Amino acid sequence: MKIDHSLPLEYSTEQNRLKILGFWIFLGAEIMLFATLFASYFVLVNGTGNGPSGAEIFEITPVLAETILLLTSSFTIGLAIHAMRLGNKKAMLVFFGITLVLGLAFLGVEIYEFVHYVHVGAGLQTSAFTAILLTTLGTHGAHVTFGLFWGLFILLQVKKNGLTPETTNKSFIFSLYWHFLDVVWIFIFSFVYLKGMM
Amino acid sequence: MMKELFPRKQVIGFIFSLVLTAVALLVYFMDMSFAVGMTILLVTAFIQAGLQLILFMHAGESEDKTTIYTSIYYGMAIAIITVLGTLLTLVWTYQFQ
Repeated sequence: MKIDHSLPLEYSTEQNRLKILGFWIFLGAEIMLFATLFASYFVLVNGTGNGPSGAEIFEITPVLAETILLLTSSFTIGLAIHAMRLGNKKAMLVFFGITLVLGLAFLGVEIYEFVHYVHVGAGLQTSAFTAILLTTLGTHGAHVTFGLFWGLFILLQVKKNGLTPETTNKSFIFSLYWHFLDVVWIFIFSFVYLKGMM
Repeated sequence: MMKELFPRKQVIGFIFSLVLTAVALLVYFMDMSFAVGMTILLVTAFIQAGLQLILFMHAGESEDKTTIYTSIYYGMAIAIITVLGTLLTLVWTYQFQ
């Protein structure tokens, strides 16, 4: 394995560089996946049938809490990567840990929100609107859930093996994934919630 | 030591993203037309996305920069065509008939 010391560790081998490139291409496909969900949402948003509309069930407080939690976690994973590049394993693990805790809090609020929706009669089968709403939110939430487990395992590997070309590469790729989920949330926040409550 | 861990660029980026969220919230707290509200949301959302991509995700830092941007632009182009095309054929035409 040829290690180039002029680059950050996560880029230091050709395989590392290609893994990062490959992940960016995956994110390009993820953009398209969420685009199809948004397109379907815009078509079905008025198909409320006998069920409630968005304006009737959306609550600003949990939505704002979710937004701030995810924005902050995106900031802290950025700080984790910065600390990682400084070779500061301890600070990196702290920021990484904070990111996962914030992600878990986000998921907690989202689960509360889903329970609330079902409680007020907006389940998956109520109307075209509630079906696409819960599918879109659920796809994002499932990504966050997957990310929490993935992130936890990487955190444990960094703790055990230290900052190596492998662990830094995995951490950097995880940070790309996490920032991407924040971007998707910004669009959900703007075009599902705020547009719905306008 | 602490200062080293909080790079200025990222702190400013974070504050800016909070400001953009606050601006987007205006559509909820203020009375405005649908067109003005949507314009605000489109502008704030796309600036936020760009901020994450360039500042936090370091999209332009490696030698694969061109390939990375091509893949992201391609994804975004398909996304916009999918959303606008769907709106055009399934939502907006409804109002013209």
